[in-house]
Amino acid sequence: MSKKNPVRTFFASVKLAIVLLVLISMASILGTLIPQQEAAGPFINRLSPSVADILRGLQLFNIFHSPWFIILLALLALNLVVCSLNRVPLAWTRFRQKSEPDRDDLFETIPPDQVVVKETSLSEETDRLEKLLGKKDRVGRKDMDDRSYLYVEKGAYSYFGVYCVHLSILVMMAGVIIGSFLGFEGYMDITEGESSAVVALQGGRGAKNLDFAIRCDRFFIDFYENGAPKTYRSDLTFLKAGSTVQSSSVLVNHPASFAGMRFYQASYGMIPTGDPVMTVALDDKKIKDVQVAVGMEFEIPEKKAKVEMTRVEENLMGMGPAVKLSIQSPAGHIQFWVFQAIEQIMQANPGILEQVTLFNPGLFEPYVFSLGQAGSRYYTGLQVTRDPGVPVVAAGAALMMIGLMIVFFCSHRQIWIRLDTRGEKTRISITGKSNRDAVGLNREIRKLLDAVILNRESAT
Amino acid sequence: MINTVILSWTTFIYFAAFAFYLVRMVSVRERWGRLGAATARIGLFAHTAALILRWVASYQMGMGHAPLSNLYESLIFFAWSIMALYLIVEWRTKSRSLGTFVVPVAFLCMAFASLSPNISSRIQPLIPALQSNWLTSHVITCFMGYAAFTVAFATGLMALLKGMERRARTGDGSAIYGKNANPSPMNFIRLIPAPGILDELIYQSTVLGFVFLTIGIMTGSIWAHYAWGAYWSWDPKETWSLITWLVYAVMLHARHVRGWRGQRMAVMAIIGFICVLITYLGVNYLPGLHSYQ
Ligand code: HEM
Repeated sequence: MSKKNPVRTFFASVKLAIVLLVLISMASILGTLIPQQEAAGPFINRLSPSVADILRGLQLFNIFHSPWFIILLALLALNLVVCSLNRVPLAWTRFRQKSEPDRDDLFETIPPDQVVVKETSLSEETDRLEKLLGKKDRVGRKDMDDRSYLYVEKGAYSYFGVYCVHLSILVMMAGVIIGSFLGFEGYMDITEGESSAVVALQGGRGAKNLDFAIRCDRFFIDFYENGAPKTYRSDLTFLKAGSTVQSSSVLVNHPASFAGMRFYQASYGMIPTGDPVMTVALDDKKIKDVQVAVGMEFEIPEKKAKVEMTRVEENLMGMGPAVKLSIQSPAGHIQFWVFQAIEQIMQANPGILEQVTLFNPGLFEPYVFSLGQAGSRYYTGLQVTRDPGVPVVAAGAALMMIGLMIVFFCSHRQIWIRLDTRGEKTRISITGKSNRDAVGLNREIRKLLDAVILNRESAT
Repeated sequence: MINTVILSWTTFIYFAAFAFYLVRMVSVRERWGRLGAATARIGLFAHTAALILRWVASYQMGMGHAPLSNLYESLIFFAWSIMALYLIVEWRTKSRSLGTFVVPVAFLCMAFASLSPNISSRIQPLIPALQSNWLTSHVITCFMGYAAFTVAFATGLMALLKGMERRARTGDGSAIYGKNANPSPMNFIRLIPAPGILDELIYQSTVLGFVFLTIGIMTGSIWAHYAWGAYWSWDPKETWSLITWLVYAVMLHARHVRGWRGQRMAVMAIIGFICVLITYLGVNYLPGLHSYQ
């Protein structure tokens, strides 16, 4: 390699690989310590402007998308390519190189416990061992007058495992690049019952018009007993030119696919529709919603009570919307006002509920009444993505797994057996080589020896 | 609940196992080692039973999910993986020295889970983002990896201690040896297996951890792909898992291509384990999607 182009030598070195991996790690550590992108705002405000400018100039607030980080990754890719190109021919040679069966040199230093002497004849013993070693076309054999040699190898492909792993990194990088050029990410909010065909692209990069529309038929939310959310679900209909093409339910962890895009349940919210609503609560739990109108009547069966809205005011005494309730129950008849802005009224006039019991919405104990701008509708917040790089990245990941399995759990094992006649007897010597698994090779040799001694038909 | 009671008992059992392993090292008497090994097995058995009971209990409470959904459960599972892997290694290598270094890590996880006031041991329902089978495979593979890295770390500590022995010997160390009857720190170190064996164990467990961490990152990406619409978003936990992965990749390359062995690999195993801890717990102090609440 010394005569080669110095640039190539530089990029082929594993030292460079280690340096690059360390640099990428350090940059990533910085990226988790310094708030990134949107999160950086409050942090920047706490810095002095000159420091903030320097950090911004170094793109430390968006490290993972900064040119210098991408250059590091590109150098790693180049390093991988050059290094592999340099080494693959060697692996290929090793893979192709078939050893001669008669390697007497290997038997010079063989430990005595790898030698067995048997009463059987040379040819009989050789035939039996050949069968024991595997399929005929995979076992090399060489017969001489007083000696025979057998050779078998397996796992020569394991020299390529490392290149599988390295290639897989390049494949994944390619997938990421494809995704960043051909993909997009955006959001759309759709109110229940309405439809939309516009995606707001991420990072304020404008809007994208779809050639189809999505209608949110229903947004559904369900809670556990302890109040934690259990399910968020949007029932969506995909429409093309006004007619339904596909209906899908989207849940968290279960996106829907349509036209090469994926739709994720990302958020939700309420849009007030303007109609005032009276809410009845017991122990802070809502038990009833009632539409507001003069003369509206409803019941609270637990108390055998009948409630009537006797007056509805837009702005009572300058304190905002209010409804007067008249409640008939076995306990008697009471009347009081329910204000929409009761919180603010109480803040402005502490103690007012005790002074003016007529303004106390909790007068009919234990129920509490409130007035809201309810009648609101849900909207669902969908995240929309298209990433054609995903299958490529997935293929890279699969390749990496295959590669790692080959690198770590397969090895190239070669076994040589020499049989020679010792008078009437046959001497059998077994030895082998392995590129990384000496223990496994040793185990295999022991198994073979056992099989030879015990005249077993198979080595396992 | 019965499972948390068993788990707190398991914590004490692990402590006892650690104590026995430690006495073995100091007193150089193998019967303490046998006692430690038996105690550790009892602990793992109780631990396993408690995990199963907890799983069943979550179904009885109507929100059935594997006990892997919050910090308490993950610490408990981490300790379980460490003990399970350790007992396998003990059985395969027929050496109990590692117990003195690994079992305390499992004990600390258990103790932290049971005693920290901020960690709730209640079975909680799964919020929608956590309702995914990919999450289960993600957590299991990650913690298998972490457990293997824990073994590598503990072996690394042993290798560093063992290195002290060699340094003592090259100095005026000869006087320290001789009578192995009186307990001395050097006896302790002498029971640690030979550097070559430690080096091999560090390498093997790092490889195991690396493979599991790789699968863990991949299953995590698949989950993120379904849950958040992006297989990778440079969230602090993701980023730290990548950093950890890169550190171990550097370690493997340094060994394979530059021939690093022994003490250097031990140091790398310790650095790697620090990264694991940051990935697992440290990032909870950084903002992000992953932090356990
Ligand atoms: C994140 C990036 C990388 C990963 C995950 C990776 C992974 C691996 C793995 C798993 C091995 C096998 C190690 C062992 O057997 O213990 C290996 C070996 C190797 N890697 Fe990498 N590698 C990466 C980057 C690189 C780069 C950039 C180079 C460029 C020079 C490189 C050069 C090598 C070489 C020369 C070997 C030894 C191959 C042999 O057996 O002859 N690696 N790599």
